[in-house]
Amino acid sequence: MTFTPNRPDLIGAYMIDGVQHFHAVTFPQIDRSGSNFSAVIATFGFKPEEFILSVSMLPESIYFSVFESALQKLGIYGTNADDSPFDAGRVESLSRQMDYAAACGVSAQVIAGLKQFGHDPAKVFAGRTIWARPDAVTQLAQLGGFDVRRFVPLGPAFALECSHGGVHVDDTEWQFSDDGGTIHVTSRMDHVEPVSALDTKVAGKLGTAPCGCGLSMATLDFA
Amino acid sequence: MAKAYPDFLDPVETAPREWLDRMQEAAIIRQIHNGYENAPLIREIWDKAGVKPSDIKSMADFREKAPMFDKDDQRDFRDKHNDLTGGFVPIRPGAIMSVGTTSGTTGDPTPVANPPRSPSEVAYARAAWHQGARPGDYLTELLFTYRGGHRNRYASELGFTKILFAMHPAEMPRIAAGSRRYRPTSMKVFASPFILAMEQYVEQSGDDPVDIFKSYKGVIFGGEPLSQRLAALTKSWGIELFETTAFGEVSSGNQCRMHDGFHAPEDHGFIETVDPVTGEPIADGKIGELVVTMFVDRMMPLIRFRTGDLVSIDRSACGCGSTHARFQLLGRASDQILVEGKSILPRELMGLIESESATRANLFQIIRPGRELDTLRIRIGYDPERLTEPQAALQNRLRDKIGAATGVPTQIELVDQAELLKLGPPHKIPRVTKQ
Repeated sequence: MTFTPNRPDLIGAYMIDGVQHFHAVTFPQIDRSGSNFSAVIATFGFKPEEFILSVSMLPESIYFSVFESALQKLGIYGTNADDSPFDAGRVESLSRQMDYAAACGVSAQVIAGLKQFGHDPAKVFAGRTIWARPDAVTQLAQLGGFDVRRFVPLGPAFALECSHGGVHVDDTEWQFSDDGGTIHVTSRMDHVEPVSALDTKVAGKLGTAPCGCGLSMATLDFA
Repeated sequence: MAKAYPDFLDPVETAPREWLDRMQEAAIIRQIHNGYENAPLIREIWDKAGVKPSDIKSMADFREKAPMFDKDDQRDFRDKHNDLTGGFVPIRPGAIMSVGTTSGTTGDPTPVANPPRSPSEVAYARAAWHQGARPGDYLTELLFTYRGGHRNRYASELGFTKILFAMHPAEMPRIAAGSRRYRPTSMKVFASPFILAMEQYVEQSGDDPVDIFKSYKGVIFGGEPLSQRLAALTKSWGIELFETTAFGEVSSGNQCRMHDGFHAPEDHGFIETVDPVTGEPIADGKIGELVVTMFVDRMMPLIRFRTGDLVSIDRSACGCGSTHARFQLLGRASDQILVEGKSILPRELMGLIESESATRANLFQIIRPGRELDTLRIRIGYDPERLTEPQAALQNRLRDKIGAATGVPTQIELVDQAELLKLGPPHKIPRVTKQ
């Protein structure tokens, strides 16, 4: 008897050192990880039927299909805008129309786009939780008036900050190490495109103490 | 041994006309009750017209009595009642996966509830299947995230693997690499700006487009009308383009291999045409405004929704084997202008503007302060790097060329195309502007 080998469900991409790499994933992998990250999102106490905005590009499905799977498990409605200065008007419009409770993936170029369209990012994001990409964390934190958290792409994996300040990773799906001061990623599960000790070139180290949120998922410390 | 799959993904695509008509009648009556009972906008419109769902017992009743509405009615309801859905069915847990939005080219993006499997996903899967894609194949997808986010799974459920790309001109080298690595059989949506970006990539890199695209059995093109130059260019790359257009906000109409209009998925909705000014019915085969009634989306019951598109409908069987109606799309009713009484639509100008090297990107806007004008005024974007003569020379030549073709007084304003690109998302700019 022959069996069909694992077929990827989608091919997305991750970026290391400015170079994009194709990466294949399956929906079982996405849904497993979505269940794990739903616990991180749940630490904020968002209510079912609230909206959360993903700010991303399509090849980032390797992260955001996980994130959106997590939202669906919590009964939260996802909505979307591109991570692009051209689509920043949508980030503002949806804040009025849907009053999203949180947004994930806000980058420096989206902040620049908001300003270009004549919107004040502090007003657009006021009172919300904003998971910022690494290039936007400092800028957003200086604005004040909303809760800035971190979303960190790590090659094919990613980290997401909980309400207690722990930047969590899915250490069931991936094994993380901090060799040479950068985060390395290795597949632990049955991945359709496994990686081994992949250097993400993201500076950081493994967290050592359990997070105050009470989740057992590992954390990383970033400079 | 390779499995022999059927020619059509869904048997309904070849259902007999009479069966489709009866199915549509039943589906419309069901949707009317759903809309009236659950969508405040529909109830308001029907109450105002003095019509009740119980008044509609047949397709004839429907076409005679059911009131129509348009996007402005939806926006007005949204603004008046601060209702996110614009007067459609309140969002229900379990019934939807996420909330997408329209492109927002002409205003605030309109929210569109996404059910677990959207009619649009189904329509595009049928289109890829028609082109020759089969389970196990890879499909190239260029898409903005605002419509479906990262939740679409129907293609995967059918056994396809999607290769995902951003709607961005900078993606062209990756599309070339991905096409060689995975050898996909179908692509969507290859819009004009991306064909132009691929042309530039090929010119600058020396890469061979025929080799890049040799595995594709079909490529879906959309966003706006296909120009003659881009049709010829992509043909020279070995690509067969299949045009697509929106169908009733939640589904899509797609060309088949006959390339004779867009097939409306008639199991998703019913199409008819009316006079754009009087609203009176127009017979199939004549030009009128497309009016759709969608039955597959229970959350957004578009019942006699005036789309603003000028079309002609053909319900005869198609040479491809599909029995579903086709429509020829002529343009947006709101884009039409009358200059000295002569009708002009943006698509009529495309071939003239792209024929000049510096304006080959076809970025232009008709300036339309009102529907009836004395002079045709066009703002055209040019590429400074391709301009090899004084700007006035190009401006005069375009004026003369367009004036001669349309037969009306013409004024041309040339601007750097980068300025026009700021006016809209990367795939399209508003073709008509008030100033």
